[in-house]
Amino acid sequence: MATEYVKYVDVTKCDGCRACMVACKNWNDLPAEPQDFLGTMQSHANVTADTWNVLTFVEHENSKGNLDYLFRHSSCFHCTDAACEKVCPENAISYTDKGMVVVDQDTCVGCGYCVQNCPFDVIQLKNYKDENGKEYRKAHKCTMCTDRLDEGLQPACVTTCHTGAMEFGEKDDVIRKAEKRVNEIKERYPNAMVYNPKGVGGTHTIYVLAEKPSVYGLPENPKVPTSAVLWKDYAQPIGKAMVGGVAMALAGAFVANKFFDKKNGGHEDNGGGNHE
Amino acid sequence: MTNHWNDLQHTDVCMIIGANPAENHPISFRWLLKARERGGKIISVDPRFTRSSSQADIYSPLRSGTDIAFIGGMIHYAIENNLFHKEYVAKYTNASFIVKESFKFNDGLFSGFDEGTSSYDKTQWAFETDKDGNPLKDEKLENPRSVFQLMKKHYSRYDADTVSTVTGAPKDDYVKICELFCSTGQVGKAGTIMYAMGTTQHTVGTQNVRSYAMLQLLLGNIGLPGGGVNALRGESNVQGSTDFALLWGDLPGYLGAPKAIPEHATLKAFLEKETPKSGYWINKPKFYVSLLKAWYGPNATKNNEFAYQMLPKGNKNYSHISLFNAMYKGELEGAFLFGQNPVVGGPNAGKEKESLSNLKWMVAVDLWETETSSFWQKEAGSDPSKIATEVFLLPASASFEKEGSITNSSRWMQYRWKAIDSRGEAKADLEIIHVLATKIKALYKNENTPAAQPIKALHWEYGHGDHPDIDIVCKEINGYDYNTGKQVVGFGALMDDGSTCSGNWIYSGFYPEEGNNRSKARDSKNTDGGTNFLNWSYAWPANRRILYNRASADPSGKPWSSERAVISWDGAQKKWVGNDIPDFVPTKAPTDEGGMNPFIMLGDGVGGMYAPTLNDGPFPEHYEPFESPIPNVFSSVEMNPTVKVWDGEFNKKGNNKDFPIVATTYRVSEHWQSGSMTRNQEWLSELVPHMYVEMSEELAKEKGIKNKDKIVVSSARGDVTAYAMVTKRFKPYKLKGGMIHHIGMPWHFGYKGYATGDTANRLTPHIGDANTMIPEYKAFLCNVRRAD
Repeated sequence: MATEYVKYVDVTKCDGCRACMVACKNWNDLPAEPQDFLGTMQSHANVTADTWNVLTFVEHENSKGNLDYLFRHSSCFHCTDAACEKVCPENAISYTDKGMVVVDQDTCVGCGYCVQNCPFDVIQLKNYKDENGKEYRKAHKCTMCTDRLDEGLQPACVTTCHTGAMEFGEKDDVIRKAEKRVNEIKERYPNAMVYNPKGVGGTHTIYVLAEKPSVYGLPENPKVPTSAVLWKDYAQPIGKAMVGGVAMALAGAFVANKFFDKKNGGHEDNGGGNHE
Repeated sequence: MTNHWNDLQHTDVCMIIGANPAENHPISFRWLLKARERGGKIISVDPRFTRSSSQADIYSPLRSGTDIAFIGGMIHYAIENNLFHKEYVAKYTNASFIVKESFKFNDGLFSGFDEGTSSYDKTQWAFETDKDGNPLKDEKLENPRSVFQLMKKHYSRYDADTVSTVTGAPKDDYVKICELFCSTGQVGKAGTIMYAMGTTQHTVGTQNVRSYAMLQLLLGNIGLPGGGVNALRGESNVQGSTDFALLWGDLPGYLGAPKAIPEHATLKAFLEKETPKSGYWINKPKFYVSLLKAWYGPNATKNNEFAYQMLPKGNKNYSHISLFNAMYKGELEGAFLFGQNPVVGGPNAGKEKESLSNLKWMVAVDLWETETSSFWQKEAGSDPSKIATEVFLLPASASFEKEGSITNSSRWMQYRWKAIDSRGEAKADLEIIHVLATKIKALYKNENTPAAQPIKALHWEYGHGDHPDIDIVCKEINGYDYNTGKQVVGFGALMDDGSTCSGNWIYSGFYPEEGNNRSKARDSKNTDGGTNFLNWSYAWPANRRILYNRASADPSGKPWSSERAVISWDGAQKKWVGNDIPDFVPTKAPTDEGGMNPFIMLGDGVGGMYAPTLNDGPFPEHYEPFESPIPNVFSSVEMNPTVKVWDGEFNKKGNNKDFPIVATTYRVSEHWQSGSMTRNQEWLSELVPHMYVEMSEELAKEKGIKNKDKIVVSSARGDVTAYAMVTKRFKPYKLKGGMIHHIGMPWHFGYKGYATGDTANRLTPHIGDANTMIPEYKAFLCNVRRAD
C-alpha cells in the first residue's frame, strides 16, 4: 500500500495573508476572477473552477466574549471516499497513489454530477467554447499540485506559506501533529479540534480548526451522499448498459438535480465558503 | 530598527503598536510565531482588530493619535510598580542627570516657548554642569531635579483611568498590557516594540517614537536580543533611501545639510558649529570632507574648502508638504517624481493633484502610467485643455530588471542581481540619473555663471557611455584612499584632510577590498553570530546587528543574564566577544574611559531618557491631532504647539461638529503603497478589488448603513465614495466627553489599474510632525453617510 500524504492546515497559525491563493493561481496559470464586494475581506464566496483555493474570513465572538478573527485556507479536501470519484459516470476522477483526488480533463464530459454531490462544494464547472463555437464544460478543483509532487516538490500553497500554518507530510505523522497541536491550544481555543471527517473516510487535507466546523461554515459530519452510492453502484451500470455512457451521464445529472440534489435532501447542507 | 527581523524570535513580549505586521510585514510573523513557541507573548494595540490582533495574546483598541497617552501611562506604571531595570537606568541613561532650574512644564508647555515663532528656546532645558561642562548626576535617582524624578512627575498625570478616557483602551485590558509588557523589565527578559506608520504619521510622530524609546530604556530592553525599538519600514528600500539623505535636511549618512546662515558660511564654521564635543559624532568632519571628496573629486581641495561652496544652501522648509505648497502657489517651475504617486499617496491628495497643474514641466519616472503621471488626463477628472504642464514619462525598470542593493528595516544591505531584461525603453534609476547628469554637465560645460559652477564642479566618472558601472559606485560609497585608490576597511579609516572619499560613511566597510562586496554575502549557516547571521549581507554600521549591544552587559562587562547575552568583555583576550560585532570600540575595557557608555552616538554616551534637542520638548506630552473629536484632557494646549500650520485653501480644517468621526488610513497585505504596482497585478487585484471603509456595527446602525452599501466619507478637504464593511473589529470609543466613532480605510486606491476606487488621501490634512514634517495621515475627522 503506497504511503498516503496529507496537506496539514493549522488555521491557528494562519494570519490570512493569502499568499497561498496567489501561489495557486501562479503555479496553475489560472485567470483572475474579481468578484463584487462581499462585505468582508473574503474575495470569493466559494472556490470556483478558476479559483481553487479561497481564504475564508470569519468574525466570531467566542465563548469568553472576546473577538476571534478566523481564517481558513479552503480548497478540495481530497476525501478518502470521494463522492465526486464515486459518481463520475466517465470514471474521469481517480485517486493517485498518494491519496489525492484528480480529474482527468480529457475524459471529463462536464456533466456536473460531481458538482452536485461534493459535500464541500469544492468542485465546479467551467464553460468553454471550441474552435467551432460549440460550448462544452469541464470540472476543475485543487489538484494538490500532483505535478509538483511527482517532482519531489510540495504543493505551491504549502511552499509559500510563511508561518508554517501549512505543511505536507505522511498521513500518520500529520494526524499525530494535529492532535498534539489541539492539546497545545486548548486554553486559547477551547473548541479547537482536528477536522478529518470520518463520513468521507477521512481526508487528505486535514485541519486543526480553532472553532467548531459550523463556525467556519463547514459541515459537522459530512458523508458521501447515499444517493450517490445508489446511483453509481446500482442504477448507473444498468442504465449504461441500456442507453450508453454520455446519455446516461446527462440523464444522471438531470436525476440528481431533481431527486438527489444535495441541497434538498440526502445529506447535510454546507455553506462552502463563508462570510458574515 | 535597533535589532533585526530574525532577532524577534528571542522576545518574551512583543508589543505591536502603530503597525500591523501580519498584514504588512508578513514574514515578521514567522519570527513572532517562533517566539510564541518559546513562550513569548504578543500584544496588539490598534484602532481596530487586525489580522495581527488575531494572533495576539492581548488586544487593546487605541484611538488613533493617542500613543503618548498610552505609553506615558505605561511609563507611569513601570515606575510606580518598580518594574524598571534600576541599574541599567542609572548607569546607561541620562536619568541620573540634573536638569537646570530653568526647565519647567506647565499646562502643556515647556519653559522657553515663544508664541511668535511657535518654537522653544531649548537652552532652557539644559543640564546642570560642572566647571568642565560635564553634567551633574545623582545615580540614586532621588534628586528632585534629576531627569528620573522629573520624568516621574511628568507621567504621574498619566494614570490608567485618565489614559483610558483619552485612548479608549478599556482599563482592565490596559492594566493587563502594562503588567505584561513591563514584566520585561526583569533581568533575563526582553521586550520588543514593533511600530510603523501608525506611530510616525502624526503631528506628534517623533515624540511617539520617543515614548517607545523611553519605555524601552526604562525596562533595560535596548541592546538585548529580543528587545529594541523596531521600526517596520514601509517600503523595501526606504531605509536605504533615508540613509542616502531622502530627507531634505540631511546629507548621506545623516550628516546635516548646510543652511544659508552666517554660522554655515564656511566649511570650518559649519563643522565647528555642527560637530558635537563628545560621542562618535566628533568624527563628523572626516565623514563630511570624505563625502565632498566623493562628489567633487579633484575639484575639492584643501584650498577651496573641499568645494563646500558648491553645495546648495537654503533656509526654507523643503519637506513634501512645503514643496506642494510652493507648487500650489505657482512658485515651482518643474518637478521630478521618481516612483512617487502623490495623487494617491500624498496628504490632501486632491489639492496635490491640483498643484501639479501649476508646474511648467514635470518628469515622472515610473514603471508605467500612474495616477500622478496622468494627472492631466480626462480619466483623472482633469480638463487637459486647461493644463499647461508638459509631462514627461521616463519608463523605469522594475526591481528584478536591475542590479543594486536594498537596505531593509534591519539595516541589512542586500545586493540584488538582475533577473530579466526590461521591456521597451525602460531603464534602471541608476542609468537615468547617470544620463541626466552627463547630459546636464555637457550643457553647462561652457557656461561660467554662478549657477553653472556646482554642475561643472561635480565629478562624474562612473564609466563611459550611457551605462554606468555600478561597481564604481559601490566602491565610492564604501570609500577609498584618494591617492592610492585602495578601498577603506571602514569608517574608522576616513580622514578630514581630503585623502579619502566616501559617498556614505555609515556604509563604509561593506566593500573593504577588491572582490569582497559584503552586501553580496549569502551564508545562511549559523556559523557566526547564531541568529544574527553575520555572514548574510552587510548591516550598517560595521555589520553590527543589534545596536547598542554594549548595553546587554552590565558595567563590568558581564551579560546582565545568560539568557539574553550578546557580547561580553573577555579580560584575557582584552576584547569584547560574542555573537555580534560589538557596537563599541572592540578593545575598550569596561574600566577604560567611556567603557561603560553603550550609547556611543550620543554626546554623553548614555541613552536619552530626556531629549532636549527636539523641537517639541524633552519629554513626550500628549496633544490631540490637528483635527480632534474631544478637547485635550492633559492640558489646555490642543495641538502640538510647534507644528508648522498651513491654513486657508491649502489645508482646510474640519471641526468636530460637522465631522464628528475619527478616521484613520492603513494598508492591506494584498496591496502596496499607492497601488500602482499591485492594482496592475491581476491576482492581487482579485483579492482586494474594491475600495471599502471599515466601521462598527453601532455606527452603521446609527447611519442606516448596511454591510456592502455604497457610502460617502467626507472631510473638510474632500469626499470618498466606497463600500461599507460593517465589522465587529471596530467598536465605538468610550472617551471623556462621550461615545466617539472611529473608522478606517485602505489608502491604496486610485483610478488606474485593474482594481480601482476612490483615493482615501483626498480626506487627509496638509500638516506634519513638528520635527520631521511627516504628514498626519493617520488621525483626522470625517463624517459618513449612505451614497444614495
